[in-house]
Amino acid sequence: MLSWLFINVYRALRFQAESEKEQAMSSYTENCKGENSLGRKNYVYLTLVMAITDFKIKYDNSVLGYFWSLLKPLLMFGTLYLVFSVFVRWQVENYKLYLLLGIILWNFLSEVTLNSMILLEGKAPILKKIYFPRWIIVIASSLTSLLTLLLNIVVFFVFFILSGASFRSTSWRMVVYLIELYVFVVGLAFLLCALFPKFRDIHHIWEVFVQLGFWATPIIYPISIVPEKYHALIFLNPVARIIQGCRQALIGPSGEFLSFTSHIIVISVAACVFVAGLTMFNKLSGSFAEDL
Amino acid sequence: MIALEQVNKVFRLPHDKKTTLRQRFVSIFQKSTYEQLYALRNINLKVNKGEFLGIIGKNGSGKSTLLKLIANVLEPTSGTISVNANVAPFLELGVGFQGDLTVKDNVFLYGALLGMSKKQIVDKYDWIIDFSGLERFVDAKLKNLSSGMQVRLGFSITVSIETPILLVDEVLAVGDIDFQQKCYDSFKSFKKNGRTIVFVSHDLSAVEKFCDRVVLLEEGKAIAEGSPSDILDEYQRR
Repeated sequence: MLSWLFINVYRALRFQAESEKEQAMSSYTENCKGENSLGRKNYVYLTLVMAITDFKIKYDNSVLGYFWSLLKPLLMFGTLYLVFSVFVRWQVENYKLYLLLGIILWNFLSEVTLNSMILLEGKAPILKKIYFPRWIIVIASSLTSLLTLLLNIVVFFVFFILSGASFRSTSWRMVVYLIELYVFVVGLAFLLCALFPKFRDIHHIWEVFVQLGFWATPIIYPISIVPEKYHALIFLNPVARIIQGCRQALIGPSGEFLSFTSHIIVISVAACVFVAGLTMFNKLSGSFAEDL
Repeated sequence: MIALEQVNKVFRLPHDKKTTLRQRFVSIFQKSTYEQLYALRNINLKVNKGEFLGIIGKNGSGKSTLLKLIANVLEPTSGTISVNANVAPFLELGVGFQGDLTVKDNVFLYGALLGMSKKQIVDKYDWIIDFSGLERFVDAKLKNLSSGMQVRLGFSITVSIETPILLVDEVLAVGDIDFQQKCYDSFKSFKKNGRTIVFVSHDLSAVEKFCDRVVLLEEGKAIAEGSPSDILDEYQRR
């Protein structure tokens, strides 16, 4: 299964490389001059406007509005909490918070990566008519999800205070992990978005991967129930490290994921994925207007 | 201002376009076959500052492809395109509009899409609303407006952009007489302000009226170039 996936990706890339060879001679130059020039800073504004627009469209038009975005992780949390704290009892301190944090963070990953593929089809009419750097749509959509994530984290802290937990001195470490998570997830989004026009069914494949990842990551279960020898395997996944790290920072007890080495591992994986994703995206985005 | 050198654009039209991994897997030993469509062949074109250039030709002769290449939406298969200033694409009115947002929000969204900064949009906002005649509807959702109003809004935003180069593709075909008159009036003022315009149209009388120079395309080749009256004669003879 994996091997034919690679073969096909390879074939598509070779096809791309061939057409690029033909393009070797071609180029497009644009020099911005004059006071009316639409400079680089306008791209930042465009990204923000797009992100806000996406957010408005997503939530403004439903009766419950923004509450839907809270309700989704909360309902999931409620169901899983019922099952795993009443029927199955894990020996985890503060299981409620432990579970909620895991779900919120994983939801961010699944939302950004899955959205990144639907994006292009929704924006196809614009892409075919107006030029702007294509990465803007991916970043804009990730910012929309980031806003949802931050609002969800506020809700998490409401639960946190209600449950009587006290803030730990390591809490600020969570911010570092969130930045790492964002870089990693956006890298994945670039990669998936770039491949989507050529391989439409990557959306279905990725859906399965997200589902698998949910269970392969210690989100609902404590890592202690997994035999020691598989730990290395589970923590190959940087998101597992990020989720564990956030938990150790906020809920405790402190552990290896707060160490400097752990951050180094996660940030280097995230940076690699980001660079690979962006490179692929820049390579393939030139033909979006034709492939869509 | 705009210079195209030996530009070719070839579209590959696969007989059976494979857009999924499954299709690629099923046909892993099949060589994919496709038709090559030469949309543009060996185009050399220079547009000078302040010039009003018309492009005419039959359907499928490559007019729109040429504009999209200049707008950087498409990439040339070979050749170089250099554009010396900012371009406002006038390819389709209101292409980024979101029906679920208010008129006001749409002005800011579309303006940003066309490359305006926040300050530029704020400065132009009153003028845009005034020009489109939609004062009463700024807080209404765009989808509840008639299609004519939406086109007017799109046009007003596009006209308010102050880029040195404008690319205009058939926008005049959509409006009523009043609207077309408005378009022509703004073209006159653009011309007066010394902006460069590339104009694609089937409306030969408009081409004759406004353009300084006309290029005739046929099957992707530029077969004639010169003053409007000469080229229009040539076009009608074919």
